[in-house]
Amino acid sequence: MTIDDWRRKIDEIDRRLVELLNERSHCVVEIGRIKNIAGEPLYQPSRENQVLDAAVRANPGPLPDAAIRRVFERILDEARSVERTVMSDEHGKK
Amino acid sequence: MVVVMQAGAQEAQIQHVIDRLVSMGFDVHRSTGASHTVLGAVGLGRDFDPRDIELLDGVRQVVRITQPYKLASRAFRPEGTIVELPRGVRIGGAEVVIAAGPCSVESAEQIELIAARVAAAGAKILRGGGFKPRSSPYSFQGLGEEGLRLMREAADRHGLLVCSEVMDASQIPMMLSYVDILQVGARNMQNYFLLRALGGAPKPVLLKRGLSATIEELLLSAEYIMSGGNYNVILCERGIRTFETYTRNTLDIAAIPVIKKLSHLPIVADPSHATGRRDKVPPMARAAVAAGADGLLLEVHNDPEYALSDGAQSLYFEQFDKLMAELRIIAPAVGRTIA
Repeated sequence: MTIDDWRRKIDEIDRRLVELLNERSHCVVEIGRIKNIAGEPLYQPSRENQVLDAAVRANPGPLPDAAIRRVFERILDEARSVERTVMSDEHGKK
Repeated sequence: MVVVMQAGAQEAQIQHVIDRLVSMGFDVHRSTGASHTVLGAVGLGRDFDPRDIELLDGVRQVVRITQPYKLASRAFRPEGTIVELPRGVRIGGAEVVIAAGPCSVESAEQIELIAARVAAAGAKILRGGGFKPRSSPYSFQGLGEEGLRLMREAADRHGLLVCSEVMDASQIPMMLSYVDILQVGARNMQNYFLLRALGGAPKPVLLKRGLSATIEELLLSAEYIMSGGNYNVILCERGIRTFETYTRNTLDIAAIPVIKKLSHLPIVADPSHATGRRDKVPPMARAAVAAGADGLLLEVHNDPEYALSDGAQSLYFEQFDKLMAELRIIAPAVGRTIA
C-alpha cells in the first residue's frame, strides 16, 4: 500500500473513533443525570481506575500500556467535563 | 493552573488533589508521567487561593497561569488605554506628558510663579498638595482647601491642569471642584476603602505604587478602582524601598516596561520622590522617558532652599528648563513626542 492508501485507512479509523467517543459520551450524559438525582459526586476515582485498568488489560499492542493509560486519562478528563456540564444544567432546571 | 505532583506521589494523594480541583470548579487534565504526574486545571469558576492546593499532600508545585487581576491586564485592552483629560491632554498616547509643581502649595504668589514657569517650559499639568501627610505632626500640614483653590486659579491662568492628592474618601466631592486628576499617594495604595470610593469618581485617578508594593499589588489596587467603573487610571512608579540608602528610594525603572507588558494602563514616573535629591532627579527622569514612561511627575520650586516641604528634591527653574530640553532629544529617539 502507498502512503495515501494508509492515510485513507487512518481517516476511516478516525471517523469511527469520533463516532465511538460520542457514543461513549451519550452514556456519560445519562450517568451525569442519574448521579445528579442520586446526589453522587462527579469525580469517582475508583470507577476511573476500573476504566483505566480495563483499557490496559484489553491492550494487545503495539501501543505500550502506559500510552493506553494516557490516552484514556484524556478521555476521562473530557468525560468529567461533559458530565459537569450536564450536572450543572440539570441543577439549574431544578 | 498547573499542579505538579511529587515524584512517587501516591495514587490516593493524586486523587485527592483531583477531587479538590473538581469541587473548586476546574476541569482537570491528568497527565501521568514516568515519575511525575502533572494536573492541568482549566477554567475558573470563582476566585481561588493556589496555596489551598499547594499545601495538599503529594503536591510539589503549583503554577498559576492566569493573573489575579482582569480589568487591569493587558489582555483586557490590548491596544492600550489613553486617559483623555481637558485641554486635549492625553496620557498614554504618543506624547510624554509632564506634570510639575511644588510639593505643597505655600502661597498665592508661590504657586503663580511656579505655574507660569513650568507652563512656559512645556508642562501640561500643575501638581501640588493642599493636604500634606507629614511624618511629624508638627511639620507644615499644607494650606488645605485654600491651597487647592490657589492651585486651580494659577493653573487656569496658564492653561494647566491640576493634579493633587486625595487623602480620604470624604474629601472626594470637595476635591472634584478643584482638580482634574485625583492622586492616590504611595501610602494609600492599599487603602481599599479609598480605592473603592474612587471607582465611582467621575475623574481620572493617578495611583502611586506603594513603597513596598509589588507590581502585582499595584495592579490589584488599580483593579479595585476599575471594578467600580472608573477605567481612567494612571499608574505611577515612585520608587520602592530597597537596601540602598544613598537615595531615599530606588526608582524601579524596569517596572515601566514590565507594566507596559502586563497592563494596558498608562504608567508615569516620579523621580523626585524616588531619589529625594534634586541632583539625581534629571538623570532618573531621562531614564524613565527612555524606558517608555507615558509621563513624569516632577517637583519644581521657585526657592527650593526655603521650601516648606521636600525642598531637597525640588528642582530649580533652570534645572527644570534644562531637563525639558534634554527630554525633547530623548523622547523622539524612543518614538515619542513632548511639548
